[in-house]
Amino acid sequence: MIKETSFAIEVAHLTVSYNAKPALLDVNVKIEADQLVGVIGPNGAGKSTFIKAILGFVKPDLGTVKIQGTHVKNAKGRVAYVPQRGAVDWDFPITVREVALMGRFQKIPWYTSPRKKDRDAAMEALDMVRMTDFAHRQIGELSGGQQQRVFMARALAQGSDILLLDEPFAGVDASTERAILEVLERAKRSGKTLVVVHHDLSTAAEYFDKLLLIKQRLYAYGEPYMVLNEDLLSQVYEGKLKIFKDVVKKEEN
Amino acid sequence: MLDLFYAPLTETYFQKALIGGSIIAMVAGVVGSLVVLRRMAFLGDALSHAMIAGVAGGYLFMKLAFGLEAHAPGMLLGSLIAAVTTVALISFVSRISRVKEDTAIGIMYTGIFALGVVAVSIFRHYIHIDLMHFIMGDILGVADIDLWVSAFVGAGVLSVLILFFRHFQLATFDPVMAASIGLPVVLLDYLLTTCVSLVVVSAVSMVGVILVVGLLITPAATAYLLCDRLDKMMALSALFGVTSVVGGLYLCVWLDSAGGGAIMLFCTLQFLVVLFVAPKYGLFFRWMRLRNLVPQQAVEDVLTTVLRNKKPASVDIIRKYAVQGKNLVKVLKRMTQDGLLTQQNQDYALTDKGYKEAHTVLRAHRLWESYLESIGTPETEVHSIAHRLEHLDQAQTSAYLDKKLGSPKTGPHGKEIPAKIP
Repeated sequence: MIKETSFAIEVAHLTVSYNAKPALLDVNVKIEADQLVGVIGPNGAGKSTFIKAILGFVKPDLGTVKIQGTHVKNAKGRVAYVPQRGAVDWDFPITVREVALMGRFQKIPWYTSPRKKDRDAAMEALDMVRMTDFAHRQIGELSGGQQQRVFMARALAQGSDILLLDEPFAGVDASTERAILEVLERAKRSGKTLVVVHHDLSTAAEYFDKLLLIKQRLYAYGEPYMVLNEDLLSQVYEGKLKIFKDVVKKEEN
Repeated sequence: MLDLFYAPLTETYFQKALIGGSIIAMVAGVVGSLVVLRRMAFLGDALSHAMIAGVAGGYLFMKLAFGLEAHAPGMLLGSLIAAVTTVALISFVSRISRVKEDTAIGIMYTGIFALGVVAVSIFRHYIHIDLMHFIMGDILGVADIDLWVSAFVGAGVLSVLILFFRHFQLATFDPVMAASIGLPVVLLDYLLTTCVSLVVVSAVSMVGVILVVGLLITPAATAYLLCDRLDKMMALSALFGVTSVVGGLYLCVWLDSAGGGAIMLFCTLQFLVVLFVAPKYGLFFRWMRLRNLVPQQAVEDVLTTVLRNKKPASVDIIRKYAVQGKNLVKVLKRMTQDGLLTQQNQDYALTDKGYKEAHTVLRAHRLWESYLESIGTPETEVHSIAHRLEHLDQAQTSAYLDKKLGSPKTGPHGKEIPAKIP
């Protein structure tokens, strides 16, 4: 028998609605550990609801989300969240080191200050993403890729086995995209499960081990060559298929 | 001269104003830092106005129920209730209707303020509230009870903020992560709103309804221009609050003006000074940085001029073909620093790095010339347009043009197009 913890995230019959409109409809998926998983789907497909469900923010109409076998409500902090770049106030008076330290907040009792081991853990996480040289910079002074890495460091400092990234590749140039991907792959090698919301179908196959195609309901979950098939994509993306024809072709070669 | 500073200090009213004002300004500065970062300034304004209804209500209730005249704790509690009611109404209206939050704030606080004004005038025989005092404040007439109230409020609010500093920091910076690790984000919101209300309520008697927001946000905004850490920002903001009170009070005594007004005036001037001279985010230093910025175009022009000259170029040659005016000295100095040029006697020569860059720009220039000729641009304009376009990102443009033109070896008039340096 497979032991329960072999799945990082288990979603069963997940149905979520807003004002009688289903955002997610009967989503069933089991995500294995140590994977780099891309979540794809058109705008308004319920990707952000899916993220919220994994973080335990939404009250589902039906169904359950389990994180490493534990119900999501009792698994606070087991999924480390890396926000979209647009969602962060880059003028906030905070340094790189302090952001990384935030990853430790859950472990620090409310009545004490961060101790040395917390600060060390934060620095160690910054070291993993090669950002120690910037520890005392204000976060707005960094380049797009560096900013993304700082938040990766925060997620790593959290010590969670599962990382959830919301469009980390949005609005960065090609070389930065490479650098971020490298950090993701390093995290994966150290035994993390990464769930990444991604919008660029042309790179999806290359970047991820598994893809999760979603539009209200789950259309496919599996190896990229299975998910990126013309039939499925035409169902999900409807009229916009033309653009993706060569994506599919590239996959077939 | 010294007497000018010393004499007011011997007056009791001045001492009380100084103590009370400093306590409030300090706490307001600390809370205000979070208010500024959360963009809640308008809400602070709303709370201060709404509290008049609470003051009137508290006054009336204590008088009718217990026969107490102008019972301070009763009025304080009334103000708090009014503040919380306002916040609840605001979030209710903005949640259930299509009216957005800022509009909801505007509607609710003016409404409740109006309710207070009407109540005060209807019950003017029972309750004696001077509306003018309420609006303008009276820091020079601070009563002992006000001092005590502000001291307790200040100590309480400060303790909460210091104790839960990390929680407020995270909930303000990244509420999603805060919620994901199980912080009670909504509760923290309410706690902060309560703290803001408490500070506002205890500050109104000193600086008045209209100016209290200034005390909340101006010192914090001043500190924001100087700090890159929240804890430092809070400390500095508290300091600026206190200096505003001290400076403002002296201003008020010397000019014989209204106390609250003088304090806020000083506070605003303080902000303006910092806005200009702050080292990193100030206008003056930004202007200096812009001035010292050497335009890339000038650099590239100098590079190609030296390259075309084929031997170290004198300043005169560079001036003739590349950069005119007094900027040139600055540009040459910067380029020497950056390792693009070396100085030989009086002339400038390209370093290896400089040669490579010059080569890239020249190649872009010639490719543009070929391209322009191929699309039929008049010969007289080819050079000047190419001269402008050569500064576009060469890595992209050159590769594209080269491919489009079929990798030509020579440009118009048989000029050689330098090959790409690998």
